[in-house]
Amino acid sequence: MLEETVLKQIRSIPGNKKTLGQMMNREGVAGYVFILPFLVGFFAFIIVPMLLSFGFSFTRYNILGKPSFTALENYRTMFFSDPKFWKTFGITLYYVLFSVPLRLIMALAVAVLLVKSSKLSGFYRAVFYLPSIIGSSVAVAILWKRIFASNGVLNALLGVIGFHTETAWLGRPFTAMWSLILLAVWQFGSSMLIFLSGLKQIPVSLYESATIDGASGMRRFFRITLPMLTPTIFFNLINQIINGFMAFTQSYIITQGKPKDMTLFYTVYMYQNSFTYGKLGYGCAMAWFMVLFVGAVTLLLFVTQNKWVYYEAERK
Amino acid sequence: MVRFLKSPLPFIIILKALIVKPVSRMQEACTCFGSAYKKAEYGNLYIHSKMRRFRKQQAFEIASNSVFFTFKKLFFKFLSLRFTDIMTDRIYSGGICMKKNVLTILLAVAVLAGFITGCSKNTGTSAVPKASASKVTLRLCWWGNQTRNDLTQQAVNLYMKNNPDITIETEFTDWSGYWDKLSTMASGGKLPDIIQMDYAYISQFQQSSQLADLSRFMKDGTIDISKIPESVIDSGSINGTCYALSLGSNAPMMIYDEDTIAKAGVQIPIQPTIDQVYELGKNIYAKTGVKTYYDGGVNMVQIVARAHGSHFYNEIMAGKTDSVKEHMGNVARFAKAKFSISPDLLTEKNPDVVESKPIVDQTTWNDFTYSNQFISISKTAGRKLGICMYPVPSAAQEKSEFLKPSMFFSIAESSQNKAAAAKFLNWFTNSQEANDVLMGERGVPVNSDIAAIMRTKVDAVTGQVFDYVAAVSNVAVTIDPPNPAGSGEVEALLKSTVEKIRYGDISAEKATSGFVSNAKNILTEAAK
Repeated sequence: MLEETVLKQIRSIPGNKKTLGQMMNREGVAGYVFILPFLVGFFAFIIVPMLLSFGFSFTRYNILGKPSFTALENYRTMFFSDPKFWKTFGITLYYVLFSVPLRLIMALAVAVLLVKSSKLSGFYRAVFYLPSIIGSSVAVAILWKRIFASNGVLNALLGVIGFHTETAWLGRPFTAMWSLILLAVWQFGSSMLIFLSGLKQIPVSLYESATIDGASGMRRFFRITLPMLTPTIFFNLINQIINGFMAFTQSYIITQGKPKDMTLFYTVYMYQNSFTYGKLGYGCAMAWFMVLFVGAVTLLLFVTQNKWVYYEAERK
Repeated sequence: MVRFLKSPLPFIIILKALIVKPVSRMQEACTCFGSAYKKAEYGNLYIHSKMRRFRKQQAFEIASNSVFFTFKKLFFKFLSLRFTDIMTDRIYSGGICMKKNVLTILLAVAVLAGFITGCSKNTGTSAVPKASASKVTLRLCWWGNQTRNDLTQQAVNLYMKNNPDITIETEFTDWSGYWDKLSTMASGGKLPDIIQMDYAYISQFQQSSQLADLSRFMKDGTIDISKIPESVIDSGSINGTCYALSLGSNAPMMIYDEDTIAKAGVQIPIQPTIDQVYELGKNIYAKTGVKTYYDGGVNMVQIVARAHGSHFYNEIMAGKTDSVKEHMGNVARFAKAKFSISPDLLTEKNPDVVESKPIVDQTTWNDFTYSNQFISISKTAGRKLGICMYPVPSAAQEKSEFLKPSMFFSIAESSQNKAAAAKFLNWFTNSQEANDVLMGERGVPVNSDIAAIMRTKVDAVTGQVFDYVAAVSNVAVTIDPPNPAGSGEVEALLKSTVEKIRYGDISAEKATSGFVSNAKNILTEAAK
């Protein structure tokens, strides 16, 4: 009795209405507590460093000393007096422009083949996914180097079918770039899985009625599969474009930007500036330019999506 | 899916769907048991009137059935958690009553506590030095390969055995990761007590006052320098104060393949000129078909500048083009020659990496390196290699060979145990027992007495290096001052300019003027 009156009195004080227990019982609290380990990591290792790098991008900073504020100096250098910046940017753009569509086409083609279930389909899916797991590793980069070497696997295979050559594929600007693009296309696994799940969402009834009407396989693919798959394609496209701009290992390990800096990716140049040349502030500015650019590209895709992405649920 | 993409916190949704939801479902199942039991026993709207007669055991059966169904539902829900499901699913909320919520939070706190203790255990052992009055803990950090790691660890263990009051914690990485790691540690004020230092980085670290003054310990005798040549101490000094103690002498060299030379029947002089190398290349290609490599990098242009009595970086700063012009001319001359390795093949057989150097598989008969790499190149090639000095211009006015400290040990300014660290440095350089373990792996020992004894103990290949360094020390002139800030970028620029000449994109003249003005910009910019 006494307790209850005391509790009532406490609760009657303004701002003291809820006990801790009640606070904790609010919906969502448990969820947030559960994801706290993630949130702590997310803030400590992603948000805070991002904010710091944004700050550093306005400074001259070599890691060892103290940063000194230079306002927009880094950005000015970047845009107006560093030809290498635009060069690496162009190279990365070229890489993304070719590797992303090719990778998506490859992924879709394999997904269409694998969607028919058979006893071994699980096995095949795993096998085709493998390159993506080991994809960005250093080991694969070194493997690629051996394949395209002048005395490597590719030239040996060409020799078998009668083209005897000692071309150093990685030594020529064009072929070096395309061997990197090929590596990217080879790692289509994750997009393929997403396509697979997208393909399974397409109602079988559509195919059935189309077949009854006498539509050929090709026609069914272009008239049913592709339009129904556009949301998945859209999602994959955005993911892969972002990944493409972030490509690093390929250029860093396989070609080191050679020959003539023709395969020097933006990220590698950013890394060199930050850590090798001791211009961390400049590196941060480069990173933020990339963030804004990729953001703009993504935004553009979102804006144009109602022109070509078909959502069954929002039929107009 | 669209909703997911537009949602501001997609990762929270995924996490909730994967973790929070199954857990809360399980709790739901637990309480479901209790309520179903009650329902079954006392009867209510959901249970048919006949069921009221059921005894407690039957009520139990119904209750467990309902739990089973909940779990089944949960199980299938979990199985069908496909990609699109996760994305379209809304955050699960509701269905949790108060008591369960408290339990949930307790669980969450337990998870979090485990996470935090797991983290703190990791950092606790390595980062916090054990503070004890009698026992001193030193941290030692170096870059290297497996051989060096093993030998250094052996030496450290020996030292700890002889000095039980000192514990040395070691850290090592390879070269490329080392400087990232070190600069990060420096910015955090947590540099190891003893740092392996390189000539290219010493001025950068000294300028930001990360390195302790070693002259103090040399004066008070903690580090004995009576048997160490003055030039060696100078190489680690800036403005008369020593900040780094050299661990071994190193010299630039040209190496050649003995097999090919013997087949071609030519002789390589100990100090060839660039013109001689050109003629040699022509002869060797005619007789054996093996190609020639000409170093277009910073080492070569430094040698050219030194031969004319100046320094490469000084010339750049002054805007002078003499040495660069001569160097680019040489590069172009070799690039045009039939006997030179083609630029695309050279790109592939990157001479910067020991394992892929073109001399290793006899694509070329020569290569350029520093003496402390000779042992590993010989090992990789698996053949006998010869050594001569870096080629110099025929019109050289001065000698250009120099001895370079292969690497240093420095003491961090932030170290709490500088004297103990200095004592270790003294032991490392001046004691016979340490060098018996280290076997000259870091270069020829700087202590002349030790070097003389070590010469009799090392194998044939290491002996070649010892002899070469001894030969160079007879003719060597003082090394260039440590590289100025921005030198890394200038070296990269030089490399890509030389590549353009080799691929025939630009002429040597155009390359020269472009390079010098750009390099000057980089250096002035970096000096700010």
